[in-house]
Amino acid sequence: MTVRRPPFLLLAAFVAVAATGCASKTAYLWGDYDSVLYSHYANPQDSERYLERLGQIVQRAEVEKDKVPPGLYAEYGYALFEAGRLDEALTYYRKEREEWEESRVFMDKMIRNTQRLKENRPGPAPGGELPPPAGIPPGAVTDGEAK
Amino acid sequence: MSRRGLLLPLLGFLLHSLGCAAAPPQKDYTVFRSADPHSILVIPVVNNTTNVEAPGLFLSTIPIPVAERGYYVFPVNMVKRVLEDEGLSDPNLVHTADTARLCNLFGADSVLYVSIEAWTAQYLLITTQVTVEFDYVMKDGKTGDTIWKEHKKVVYAPQQQNSGGSPLAALVAAAVQAAVTKAAPNYMPLARQANAEVFNTPGVGLPAGPYNPEYGENPNPVK
Repeated sequence: MTVRRPPFLLLAAFVAVAATGCASKTAYLWGDYDSVLYSHYANPQDSERYLERLGQIVQRAEVEKDKVPPGLYAEYGYALFEAGRLDEALTYYRKEREEWEESRVFMDKMIRNTQRLKENRPGPAPGGELPPPAGIPPGAVTDGEAK
Repeated sequence: MSRRGLLLPLLGFLLHSLGCAAAPPQKDYTVFRSADPHSILVIPVVNNTTNVEAPGLFLSTIPIPVAERGYYVFPVNMVKRVLEDEGLSDPNLVHTADTARLCNLFGADSVLYVSIEAWTAQYLLITTQVTVEFDYVMKDGKTGDTIWKEHKKVVYAPQQQNSGGSPLAALVAAAVQAAVTKAAPNYMPLARQANAEVFNTPGVGLPAGPYNPEYGENPNPVK
């Protein structure tokens, strides 16, 4: 009786492949960005997995397509920021800024704010990893108002 | 009359009939073209339904089709979080905020406002009917004027038995049905389908943006 399951799964896989086959003419390599975002909203406490999956998408796009979709460097950078990995966040904000000129105003603000936050907290323990910030004060992320 | 005069309408007719069965009237893109947005700020969606998962799910499905039209799309989750830090965690507040100020904050050319009007699964006797309905409005960051809008309703009612049609169509229908009729219906394929039709349909969809090779071409091929 239970033998029926694998064929159904196979069928489902086939359908999935067939369905994406028709729509695979995309300009960018998105991976499963939409599902990753949705999982994050459905399961906000699972931020490690979100960070990891975003990183995989960015890496794959870099390697296979030589072009990361708009917004993804920044999205990954922000996930790193939320994990307290400020230096890496800065790296990815800068990549976004360099790749997409439309992002400059926004990225400049985020870079400035992240740097300010970095200066205001104790440096990394020698040889150790950066500790996550005890709590990012609200309003620390942006300037407040566009000036 | 030259040959061209005859050929063009004929071609137009062909394209028209290929497009879709009931082609909606084509849009006037004059305002859109003069605004000529290069970047689009996708803000959190307003939820006019009682489904709590709908806004997160639907927001997730918007960036890909919009960016694929050729625009820079701001990172949706990052934008959402930054707005929350600004005290704008209620999408209704974001949607009523001044468009120009919003664009200023992010350096965006335009804003895409999306609201969910329906998101329901109706459990009938032997099947489940799923309805999703969305409203899309795009505004220019400089003037605040509406430069594009669309409304989309998708109703999906799987049949119990699929009679006729191609084997592949039947398979797809079966897969969608399996996704839809479970206790918690999977709305993702429906949301993707709605977006694809809304943004990509020639003559009514989003004109090709600067990163699309078709950028600058007439979005109304029949005219």
